Amino acid sequence: MGKTFIIIPAWNEQKTIGQVIDEVRKYYENIIVVDDGSKDRTAEIAKQHGAFIISHDLNRGQGAALETGNQYARKNNADMVVHFDADGQFLASEIKDFEKEIEDGNVDVVFGSRFLGKESKIPFSKRYFLLPIARIVNRIFFGIKLTDPQCGFRALNKKALDKIIIENDGMAHCNEIIIKTFQNNLEYKEIPITVLYKEFGQNLAGGVKLLKDILLNKFLK
Amino acid sequence: MFQQIAALLIISFFYFRAVRQRSDQKISHNEFVFWSIFWLITALLVIFIKRIDFLVKSLGFSASGIEALIYLSILIIFHLIFRLRMRLEKMEKEMTKITRANALNKDK
Repeated sequence: MGKTFIIIPAWNEQKTIGQVIDEVRKYYENIIVVDDGSKDRTAEIAKQHGAFIISHDLNRGQGAALETGNQYARKNNADMVVHFDADGQFLASEIKDFEKEIEDGNVDVVFGSRFLGKESKIPFSKRYFLLPIARIVNRIFFGIKLTDPQCGFRALNKKALDKIIIENDGMAHCNEIIIKTFQNNLEYKEIPITVLYKEFGQNLAGGVKLLKDILLNKFLK
Repeated sequence: MFQQIAALLIISFFYFRAVRQRSDQKISHNEFVFWSIFWLITALLVIFIKRIDFLVKSLGFSASGIEALIYLSILIIFHLIFRLRMRLEKMEKEMTKITRANALNKDK
């Protein structure tokens, strides 16, 4: 594989960012941390651990941070980008599974899924309430039939990177990426991932906001 | 009659507030013209409320004139909120563009 960039959006993640970078560095060199206006030492720690830092002066949301990372990757002729969370919930060792799918040349986008066999300790409310609602909304409004449309672990090859421009600044970017994958007739695949939840993650209020963003995005365009 | 006088007094209060804000140059000329027209129309609606009652009835609605005005006001408020929301969304997008451009131009 050519140039692979691991893009890690981070907002106030000083507790975990160093360890996440160390883990990813075992496998990949080009680690881009997009510090999304953190008020803590996220950027400083990320730099100490050898990541390339792009800093937003203001907090603009995860979608905005990912698109900033994508733009940097496009400018630097990336052959593949992997979106990876800064909170340590994903396993860096699984990035190679994404790379393999793209390397084999069969797909343009690879989505991670917490519901395809591998054991993931998903909190009760998320597994049985928030994610099922997200799946239903996606099926009804967008015709998306992925098992885990809200998963932030994904990989895009050069073709997908050039075609998918993330416009949604907030958490609804997950849906946007999937919709644009469909709209651009890109080949995609879901693969199982392991998720280690250290905290609750997105709460009910976050889920409601996400739902609002998804629907507003659908109807305000 | 009493309600009409009370409504006109309230309208006068807001209108003179706008006049004072204009003289203190806290609002622009265009904004002052907008509020003047707005309060003038509101005052006319209050003065001719009986005619509006008649108009609403002749259109086949069961509500009184004042109720019809309240419904209309709510519709206008919803429309303004929608427009405000659109404008906010646009501003948010512009902020992201500027933030991103700054971030990518920084040499780290």
